[in-house]
Amino acid sequence: MHETHATAVIFGIDPMWYAGTLFVLTYALIVAERLNRAIVAVSAASLMVVGGVLTQEAAVQGIDFNTIGLLTGMMVIVTITRRSGVFQYLAIWAAKRVKADPWGILVMLVLVTAVLSALLDNVTTVLLIAPVTLLITDELKISAYPYLFAEIFASNIGGTATLIGDPPNIMIGSAVGLSFNEFLINLAPIAAVLLLLFLLPLYFIWGHRLEASEDRRRTVMNYREADAITDGRLLKQSLFVITLVISGFILAHKLKAEPATIALFGAALLLILDNLPRHIEEQSDNVYRTFGDVEWTTIFFFIGLFIVVYGVETAGILELLAERVLDLTGGDRGVTAVAILWVSAVASAIVDNIPFVATMIPLIESMSADFGGDEQLMPLWWSLALGACLGGNGSLVGASANLIVAGFAERSGQPIRFLPFMLMAFPLMLVSIVISTVYVYWRFL
Amino acid sequence: MNATAIMDPNPTVLRPNDMIRTAIDYIMENRYRNLPVVDDEGRYLGSFGVHCLLKNVLPKAVTMKHGLDNVGFVQQTLADLHHRLVEIEDKPISMCMNTDAETVAPDTPLVESLLVLYHARNSIPVVDPESGKLLGVISYWDAGKKILAAVE
Repeated sequence: MHETHATAVIFGIDPMWYAGTLFVLTYALIVAERLNRAIVAVSAASLMVVGGVLTQEAAVQGIDFNTIGLLTGMMVIVTITRRSGVFQYLAIWAAKRVKADPWGILVMLVLVTAVLSALLDNVTTVLLIAPVTLLITDELKISAYPYLFAEIFASNIGGTATLIGDPPNIMIGSAVGLSFNEFLINLAPIAAVLLLLFLLPLYFIWGHRLEASEDRRRTVMNYREADAITDGRLLKQSLFVITLVISGFILAHKLKAEPATIALFGAALLLILDNLPRHIEEQSDNVYRTFGDVEWTTIFFFIGLFIVVYGVETAGILELLAERVLDLTGGDRGVTAVAILWVSAVASAIVDNIPFVATMIPLIESMSADFGGDEQLMPLWWSLALGACLGGNGSLVGASANLIVAGFAERSGQPIRFLPFMLMAFPLMLVSIVISTVYVYWRFL
Repeated sequence: MNATAIMDPNPTVLRPNDMIRTAIDYIMENRYRNLPVVDDEGRYLGSFGVHCLLKNVLPKAVTMKHGLDNVGFVQQTLADLHHRLVEIEDKPISMCMNTDAETVAPDTPLVESLLVLYHARNSIPVVDPESGKLLGVISYWDAGKKILAAVE
């Protein structure tokens, strides 16, 4: 038990029971989707403190600032950058490079989505790419479905590749102290392979029969991507800051800087560049708008969850669970790694991967002694990252980005339905996990 | 004084099954901004306006929620826009009816009614809160005429 736990638990209930029940209830309510997930997490967190499982001080210790800071910093940077129109530029530029050929555009949009998802969060990426996709498919008079389907996969696979690509990676990286480069070296290769392999089913299911008339293709070729850039100065500033931040991540080890520090530094710098030339009153409006665009519901969801999981950890439940897991896997590291990979993939397809990963992190940490030190846990961390990120492809509710894309599909009158999507996506996701299993064995065990 | 004092009690109305083509004829000929839609019993259902027509000649990716906010790069001709309008001409107006447009009750006070008009930037229906029936419409022009004609 941690020293920071509070002694008095309300009504004299055993802290383990109180924390455990609260934890299960939190999960159930998040899955039920009757109440907004941020409200659920924050309420449960305050009940952890009110019930006496954690003191307020301990609760704050449970919040992983690195995750919160990194997410917020990147959100601010992206919010400002997107106003320059650079993402639309990129999508149109890509479509024109392949002469507006429908299959070519599909491949290009998959690549653009994957690369952007690796560098930004997935929700932002699809929010920017999906509308351009709909514009182009509308212009070509072809179905948007294959494109949107492919972008869901591309965003989740791309997000797997880097420390900042997907929240599970941010959380794992932060908790374990894994660098941007370590993620790049260990996960980017498999993500690239999976992305290229994903093009095969895409071609055989849809790609080979996508067609658009010369006439329609010409209208897309007539797009002037340069006109998508609405603010050239902002574009230069944003690209400068993004380059600086990514270089910072790569050199983080040498600079002895945490990713959150680098992201928040970048956010502050871009805020200065964006606002300095403006009049002070215009500045307040502008800053208000920028901060308003930060997804605070996601941030508060994280804060709440960290406290809930810390409460459960403090009560000693996760250690018990870890022992059970090791009993089941016979204490074998390879078996444990593969079990984590598969369980996290299936779990992430069904429930939100953020609470799942938040729970798994302390659980895996407590296995350290059994496997002979933190170094020995590495295969487990990569398995968790691969499973949690790729599992998001398994169903429409597997990741927030999936739901955003589904929303666009619905509004364009070409809805992506839950079951038809899952019938195709779940098997494809399982294939990616089979390949990942081979990779984990070959690379880490 | 209340809403009834400045409303037109016999406005042009649309039925939910009217074709968009019909609405276009009315709107273009009389330069209406929007028209109230009522059912067979005269109950108010929503409003259909020129805004909807404009929305439908633009690419969907622009007008949808979270859509593109800048399409400076798109090169389209009037013929392209015309083509989009033709595609919806034979659809019922209910496809694009605004059901949460602001309405006022007959006893809404004069200034309050005008404030609603000011915020709505559109003609506002006067609806009986009990029966849901449309009693009239307050347009800029009706209100303007009444105000100009008033003497102390």
